[in-house]
Amino acid sequence: MKFRFMACFGLAAMALASGANAGEYNLTVDPVRIDTGTFTRDGVGFNGASPGPVLRFKEGEDVVINVTNNLSELTSIHWHGLILPFQQDGVPGISYAGIKPGETFTYRFPIVQSGTYWFHSHSPFQEPDGAYGAIVIEPKQREPFNFQREHVIVLTDSHPHRGHRIMRNLKMMPDYYNRQQRTIADFVADAEKMGFQAALADRLDWGDMRMMPNDVEDLQGFTPLINGKSTQQNWAGIFTPGERIRLRFINSSAMTYFDIRIPGLKMTVVQADGNNVQPVPVDEFRIAVAETYDVIVRPTEDKAYAIFAESVARTASVRATLAPRAGMAADVPAMRKPPLLTMADMGMAHGDHAGMNHSASSSPATHKMPDGTTMQGAAHTDHSAHGGAKPRDAFYAAGSGLVPTAAEGVKFLSYSDLRAMRPLYEHRKATREIELRLTGNMERYIWSINGIKYSQAEPIRLKYGERVRFKFVNETMMTHPMHLHGMWSILDTGKGKWDPIKHVVSVAPGTTVYMETEVDAPGEWAFHCHLAYHADSGMFRKVIVEGGPPKKQAAVSGAKGG
Amino acid sequence: MMHFKMTALALAFGLALASTPAKADAMHGKGHAGAIGSPGNAAKTTRTVTITMHDNYYEPESLSIKEGETVKFVIKNAGSLVHEFSIATGAMHAAHRPEMNMMVEHGVLEPDRINWDAAKKMQATMGHGMHDEPNSKLLEPGKSAEMIWHFPNHANLEFACNVPGHYDAGMVGKIKLVH
Repeated sequence: MKFRFMACFGLAAMALASGANAGEYNLTVDPVRIDTGTFTRDGVGFNGASPGPVLRFKEGEDVVINVTNNLSELTSIHWHGLILPFQQDGVPGISYAGIKPGETFTYRFPIVQSGTYWFHSHSPFQEPDGAYGAIVIEPKQREPFNFQREHVIVLTDSHPHRGHRIMRNLKMMPDYYNRQQRTIADFVADAEKMGFQAALADRLDWGDMRMMPNDVEDLQGFTPLINGKSTQQNWAGIFTPGERIRLRFINSSAMTYFDIRIPGLKMTVVQADGNNVQPVPVDEFRIAVAETYDVIVRPTEDKAYAIFAESVARTASVRATLAPRAGMAADVPAMRKPPLLTMADMGMAHGDHAGMNHSASSSPATHKMPDGTTMQGAAHTDHSAHGGAKPRDAFYAAGSGLVPTAAEGVKFLSYSDLRAMRPLYEHRKATREIELRLTGNMERYIWSINGIKYSQAEPIRLKYGERVRFKFVNETMMTHPMHLHGMWSILDTGKGKWDPIKHVVSVAPGTTVYMETEVDAPGEWAFHCHLAYHADSGMFRKVIVEGGPPKKQAAVSGAKGG
Repeated sequence: MMHFKMTALALAFGLALASTPAKADAMHGKGHAGAIGSPGNAAKTTRTVTITMHDNYYEPESLSIKEGETVKFVIKNAGSLVHEFSIATGAMHAAHRPEMNMMVEHGVLEPDRINWDAAKKMQATMGHGMHDEPNSKLLEPGKSAEMIWHFPNHANLEFACNVPGHYDAGMVGKIKLVH
């Protein structure tokens, strides 16, 4: 880790060093057909396929990647989670102009880290249309875990509609893709359970916020895929019983969070977002859009195991198989019931921030949950957790309907369980705090930060050498996976130097989450919600890092000219 | 049940708080008496084996020992986290991991140190002393320890670290007993 830190500062020097350890890679961005087993559609892929190839790099390598655009529109590739000079980051309009049709752009950057990452187009809707692939970086040093075999597990939420069309439909009618609309029958059922007045009050509250308790996924109707295969198509990975297998999970979805489990196996989480964490055995974990988790499993029986991923709103699922021999398919577990958002997810349970709290006069304690319970503010315990005295997950609002529980076993991974294996940076107090309220107008499908969408916003200016504390206040009812390019996001879990180092920080509705960033990369970077249609509609910022050591500045301006 | 738990906990600790020397084979007696071997006599030591503990693996990664051999282990924690070197069967290791979890929950076992104040508190509230376990050493980063172990003729043994997550991540090695 120390090496990484130094390598980071030595970027410019390394870039100039001759490519004794250089690998050259060629990628084409191509129109492709995507077959999910339930529908076939046109899409975008790399080297003729979606998902694209698994790029395997070595820490310390200087990579040269030639990307040729075979589309009839502008394209780009962003190396998600990689620490690199900003001109190589692949965001059109920020890092560079993008890659024109028929042109080849050559990326050159040193690989200064290791772990599981991914790459995707950063041009509108090409990633939802299929332009994504995995990156695996082999470390210089032996890893703090042991495995005999590995499989990359890339998830996506393939939709029959192209991204542009989905965006148009969402703008026209934000609930266009919400197939879980509550009906009059639901109202009657609630009225029987909570009484007519309470049920009516509940409906009025929700109506007031222009939201629905089942607004967990605003894009439904997709077919989830693992490594490009749906449940019927059954991607299968081989193992020999008794082996430790490393599974590199990557959520390349446009919009969908998944809950992942392997019935019959414990998974030991060893990496989050490419960074080693102190190993945590779990029964299940939730992967936000754009996150990665590496887990070790040890199947001992000679049988097929299901890798089962359910979308958080339980609108769709995908099963892949781990099997001792080819041709096996594990049983498909039943999907669980969909969660319903509660008033807590609306920010209604907290008096401490404005949220979407239009009805300022209403006291949080008077709010009835859709399930009939009453909110008690912060002291409210997690009623969805069975088994009683489980500590509340601080990364969900108290009383949230989104709190995950393990389908089998007891342990569901929380952000609170993540501890850096070795701190990447010396722990210090942040030099300043920047508040970012995650805001939106659901009725017009406008997503924004501090109420301002990207096209109208000033960039966030940071000074090289600062340690900035970002305060995310989620005032919407949706969960937002926030992704800062170019620099690490140190997620505040209250563990000081052990706080995990990430590139995506998921912020649940009704919560305030902090992350800190050591500002060590000059240049201009993107910072946005990684839900494709939220980013595109304005939950996006440009970050400008000013200053820095002369060497780095020279690298920045020099490369700009070239 | 509680007694068993605390015994296993003591095994996990491998450190002297209130010293009540006990033999590991006696502690895990039920049908397996002598199965894992016993603390060895220094005079009978045939060789010294150095075990270096890293994050989260051992060097060497496996051991080959003669049946009935007495070995002196010099154990060094070269990692940045607390690690354990414990000789037992896979089942015994598995049985004792939940107790290690408990130590984490009570704040006794921090990632890179043993919190002795928390350990004393835990000892006080749970009313049970923790005693030295001859088959196990729990070491903070930078610390070293020695263990003399007399191996049985036949056993299915592993050396392992039962700090939560470490075994599952692969911090375990086979002990092959050869003729």
